[in-house]
Amino acid sequence: MEDGERERLRFSEGRNDWGSDSEGSLEDLVDDELCYSSGDIPKLQFRKDVLKARWIEELGMAEVLERKGKMWTTTGIVRDGKLYCSIEETLFLAEIGALHILHGDDTYLSLKDLYEKVAKGTDGHGCSWESLEVYRHLKALGYIVGRHGIPWTSRSTKTNSIAENELDVTSCNMSSHGILITEMFDSLQFSEVRPKFEVYSPNSKFKKSSPGSPCFLLCLTSDHPPSKQAMEDLETRYEGNCIKFCCVEHGRVSFFSFTKVELPVLP
Amino acid sequence: MGPRWKGKGAEAKALADPMSKIVSQLRLSFIESDLQGLLSGCIVLLEANAEQTDLLNRACFGRPIVNADKDKQWFQLSMEEAFYLCFALKCVKIICNDKWLKNDEEFWSCMTPKRANFHNLCIAYSHLRMKNWVVRSGSQFGVDFVAYRHHPALVHSEYAVLVLSGKDENTNGRLRVWSDFQCTLRLCGSVAKTLLVLYINKNGNGVVFPSCLENYSVEERMITRWNPEQSRENGTK
Repeated sequence: MEDGERERLRFSEGRNDWGSDSEGSLEDLVDDELCYSSGDIPKLQFRKDVLKARWIEELGMAEVLERKGKMWTTTGIVRDGKLYCSIEETLFLAEIGALHILHGDDTYLSLKDLYEKVAKGTDGHGCSWESLEVYRHLKALGYIVGRHGIPWTSRSTKTNSIAENELDVTSCNMSSHGILITEMFDSLQFSEVRPKFEVYSPNSKFKKSSPGSPCFLLCLTSDHPPSKQAMEDLETRYEGNCIKFCCVEHGRVSFFSFTKVELPVLP
Repeated sequence: MGPRWKGKGAEAKALADPMSKIVSQLRLSFIESDLQGLLSGCIVLLEANAEQTDLLNRACFGRPIVNADKDKQWFQLSMEEAFYLCFALKCVKIICNDKWLKNDEEFWSCMTPKRANFHNLCIAYSHLRMKNWVVRSGSQFGVDFVAYRHHPALVHSEYAVLVLSGKDENTNGRLRVWSDFQCTLRLCGSVAKTLLVLYINKNGNGVVFPSCLENYSVEERMITRWNPEQSRENGTK
């Protein structure tokens, strides 16, 4: 996505606290809330090439009908030659005016319809409003974000995906929709803390067929940080992966790492 | 964030005068003169001669009590410092109610602790001191301790330390909700320190007052905020 658009999107989310990670920065940093007066809210540019997708209710995903453009190298999952977008990917693209979503054969889903899908139901197709905010925040900055446990393609070489043979369409009686339903169901948040997203650094050479290891796995949390036990369980289960936690409050997304260290013995 | 030395030559000075050596000199001097401390509430008072005063200052233990006495200098040691000198370094005898405290059990029962997790504070302090870090109070930053790579005259403290119990029931109630983290991290960042959390675990069966430092294990975790705007230029981590 173009840099200009990225900048505009960033502003629309409210300024971020540049805070404590800054090297040697001792001044109190400007992080006042960005409050708009009427007529001031930036509008994203209307795109020339708006692509089409069709919403598939039983999957909770949109099937992309027109696959032009570079954005598909880092968005959507491929199953059986078709490209599908999760609700957060769909909404993100709809918000930036890059995607029109068909419903049935002739009606289009509005943003309102899409927001209602997130708001409704017990899981909003596996994406709460907070997950959406996190996805949008990272995606707008150029990071590549996928749902944890959902391979990018049915031929991805991820080892922590659902067993390969479940995705092998030729040997399975399930339709590709059926397989997807299973995958999406399994990826739903459980009551214990589990990673929600896998995040890759902004990279023009990203390939869905071999994405490599993500930079980190991202766990969403509620009002309190994970317990020490929960952190250790995650580190054991996802050994070798960097794990980060985020919390969303009033539209502000914060990311935290709890890194095991050992202070050196000094002379 | 690496060490921030105060001025040119500070790092060289620190290298030339390792903290382990200073502490070891202090230990020998105290043992030789059979130094005794007086427990008063939760602090221990020490009467130090000139050599001991110099060593206490260089090793950064205690606070001198300013008075008119020309020959001797009185110091007050915090509970953690006293615990370390008495039971880890074994170079100070502590007197309470006219008798010596023979072990840490007696120490803990004689003291009137201010904080519920005072055992853990003593263990955490000892853990860092044993690695030759200089540890001082962190109350002015809203944390338990600050840790320096050498004497505070030579270097700024790098770590703001919070001590938590390793068990899930976090009895001292610190860092329970995200706003606690936001607050502490914000403060640490504005004073250029990294937040270090020490989880203290009691090993073995639950005896209320374990008799030595070996009964505890300490796990260190660094808590940092990740900034996606900054990271995408430098590479994520």
